[in-house]
Amino acid sequence: MAWLSRQFSTRVIVLIPIAIAINIVLGFTVQKVLNLPIYLDSIGTILVGVLAGPIAGAVTGAASNLIWQYAPVIGPGSNIGPFAITAAVIGLLAGLWGQLGVYKSRPAQGVRLWLAIAIGVAAPALLILPIINNPAYTDPNVGGYPSWVYWAAVLIAAMFALVLAAVAYVRRDSAAVWVALAGAATGIVAAVVSAPIAAIVYGGVMGSGTDLLVAALRQGGSDVYHASLGQGLFSDPIDKTITSFVVFLVVLGLSRRFLARFPMGERLTDTASA
Amino acid sequence: MPTGAYRRLNPATKLALALAEAVLALGVRGWSGPLVVIAVCVGVTIAARIARRSVLLVLASIPLLVSIILVNTFLYPGATDPIVQLGPFRPTWTGLAAALQATLRVVAFGFSVVVLILTTEPDHLIADLERRGLGRRAAFVVGATLRAIPRTTQRAAQITEAQRARALDTEGRLWRRVRGILPLAGPLVFGALTDVEEQTMALEARAFSAPGRRTVLRVFPDSATQRVVRWAALLGALALLASSIAGVLEAIP
Amino acid sequence: MSLVLAGVRYRYAGSRTDALDRIDLAVPSGSVTGLVGPNEAGKSTICLVAAGLAPATIGGRLEGVVSIDGLESSSARPHELAQRCGILFQNPATQLSGTAPTVWEEVAFGPRNLALPVDDVVDRVTDALAALGIESLAERDPTRLSGGQAQLVALAGILALRPALVILDEPTSQLDPQGTRMVGEALRRLVRENRTAILVVEHKTALLDQLADRVAVVDQGRLIREGPTDEVLSDPALSEHGVEPPPRVRVRSALAGAGLRTPREADVLIAELTR
Repeated sequence: MAWLSRQFSTRVIVLIPIAIAINIVLGFTVQKVLNLPIYLDSIGTILVGVLAGPIAGAVTGAASNLIWQYAPVIGPGSNIGPFAITAAVIGLLAGLWGQLGVYKSRPAQGVRLWLAIAIGVAAPALLILPIINNPAYTDPNVGGYPSWVYWAAVLIAAMFALVLAAVAYVRRDSAAVWVALAGAATGIVAAVVSAPIAAIVYGGVMGSGTDLLVAALRQGGSDVYHASLGQGLFSDPIDKTITSFVVFLVVLGLSRRFLARFPMGERLTDTASA
Repeated sequence: MPTGAYRRLNPATKLALALAEAVLALGVRGWSGPLVVIAVCVGVTIAARIARRSVLLVLASIPLLVSIILVNTFLYPGATDPIVQLGPFRPTWTGLAAALQATLRVVAFGFSVVVLILTTEPDHLIADLERRGLGRRAAFVVGATLRAIPRTTQRAAQITEAQRARALDTEGRLWRRVRGILPLAGPLVFGALTDVEEQTMALEARAFSAPGRRTVLRVFPDSATQRVVRWAALLGALALLASSIAGVLEAIP
Repeated sequence: MSLVLAGVRYRYAGSRTDALDRIDLAVPSGSVTGLVGPNEAGKSTICLVAAGLAPATIGGRLEGVVSIDGLESSSARPHELAQRCGILFQNPATQLSGTAPTVWEEVAFGPRNLALPVDDVVDRVTDALAALGIESLAERDPTRLSGGQAQLVALAGILALRPALVILDEPTSQLDPQGTRMVGEALRRLVRENRTAILVVEHKTALLDQLADRVAVVDQGRLIREGPTDEVLSDPALSEHGVEPPPRVRVRSALAGAGLRTPREADVLIAELTR
């Protein structure tokens, strides 16, 4: 119980509204301005999860969606309310990664750095292979995906690996690898949780450009659920990886004095950094 | 029903009705749930003279509705009853039915949200919930968020203005827009975090973490009837949701 | 004594050096003590320690004794401290709760937190608004006030808790001369009518000259000297510690530098001219 009440100390209670406002304002701006499959509406959620813990993160996520849905002026046009469950899961996972020390800076050079990068590149490949080789996912006749999805997934994984390697190399920080993997994993889970909601409530679409992807997947033979899942797996891992990187860069930029006062502060700093 | 009657209901009643309507609109399979909700909401909006504003706000969902109708009518997996063959396009009746049901769900939910927003002051709702036992911390979070949104929007606009001068804006070609968004996130987050320490100290210095329930300044009128309506609405909606999931309501369209 | 700091050493959380080194300070009730010194000297840290916010709210390590209206800060909970000591910071925007639709409700924030009876809350808010002369702002939106008005509202919010000790960290830095005057008058009234003890950090030594009974000079976390206002502010060594003497002292030393001695009447005249 003490662990729970520490996650909601006055400082965290001050942070949460700020985080929710960031979620909503960024999410709204991105929606208005870009037509890309990224949302950037979870930066606050992941930040709270990392700084204050999983329960606080989950609360931030759920509250963001509900307040956005029912907020005067911004609310009525959006359909983000039912996805509060997804947002809560994202916050929960962020707290988990924070506890595991994923967001702690780990300066590395040479061999250690390249080893970490190699793991980061290999991990998605190892994950994708059994999925791709499983006919349940790739045989259109069984409600799986059309064959072009196979190539699209490989391409995305390759781009992911490239960006990951670039960031880790430029910043000389192997933590970039873990942050990217944590972000991708969060994105995958988010897609899996959102797909049934989209399929059951919204007829499988979201009202944005990615609906073209849904249409293409259905054209290729996917059922409603798998088409929604495919759309989610396309957008969410990218979005959550970018978001995780942003949170990582933010945490790097915060002073030790500031971080030390948060419940999870110690896991983000080590004795070497000033 | 006079125009102010719905507005004068206790905020918790309006909230309970909105939640029950949301559950009914989104969770109960078939046509009846959403249709009942739409009927109730339209009735309330007409009586409360907010019909025109409500419809305008609900219309904001049109892009989503168009997408739902097109994608599902023309590309519903497993449907074998075409309406007509238009070249390569084969809209199906099953698909159309699914599309219309989903459309009704979205419209019904939208109406329930709009009715709550247009008839209830957020501060009143939070105050009433706090009187009923919602903790001061939850009340603070919701209240502070609602006021933080306009402030953060302003800050975002300022950052964007400053960046426009450095050609990192969010207008123009796609790549420029992407390059404009990410540099917005960093300063926005950092700027917002700088106040956390002082705000925390200010709250503690004003006894925010004292135990017990905060003094209630304003009591909104309530009645036994409203209490019954609240419980009936919420429990009824949950019961219908459970029945729908259990497949008990298959017979009802 | 409303405030006693005895042998106080303080280090911020996550910091490797002490911010305060053996501070001994006492502020009796019904008196005003000014705190001056260069930037980063530790004046704000003293305020946080004196208010009990350090270490209770912001962590860190505190040695020595801090006694606020008889209550030792190390064993007290933040809300207990809040009833004995109020603290006002520079930036009014972060001190307002950000959840109140009107100034009246904003000022009521503190008393409400203590779960006081409604009548009590109303009395305190009325008194606080009257003490600062801002009754006319009661129905205004706190987010639409000028800097000076917001600062007065923040001060009212603190006074509503009826603390025995009020600490102010550069309260007038964002105020125009009229706002500064209003704050000064309000503080004087507090001291006179409620025997409140006041500790105020100020760069405007002219204000301290009129308001404070004693002044303490802080530099690099240490208390350099402490004594009656006139003595301390007339000390020529003051400028070594980044403190500008008040106009009265500057005029006097300028006249002295020109070879003119100033009789007592001239002092009064100068004080009048430089107010």
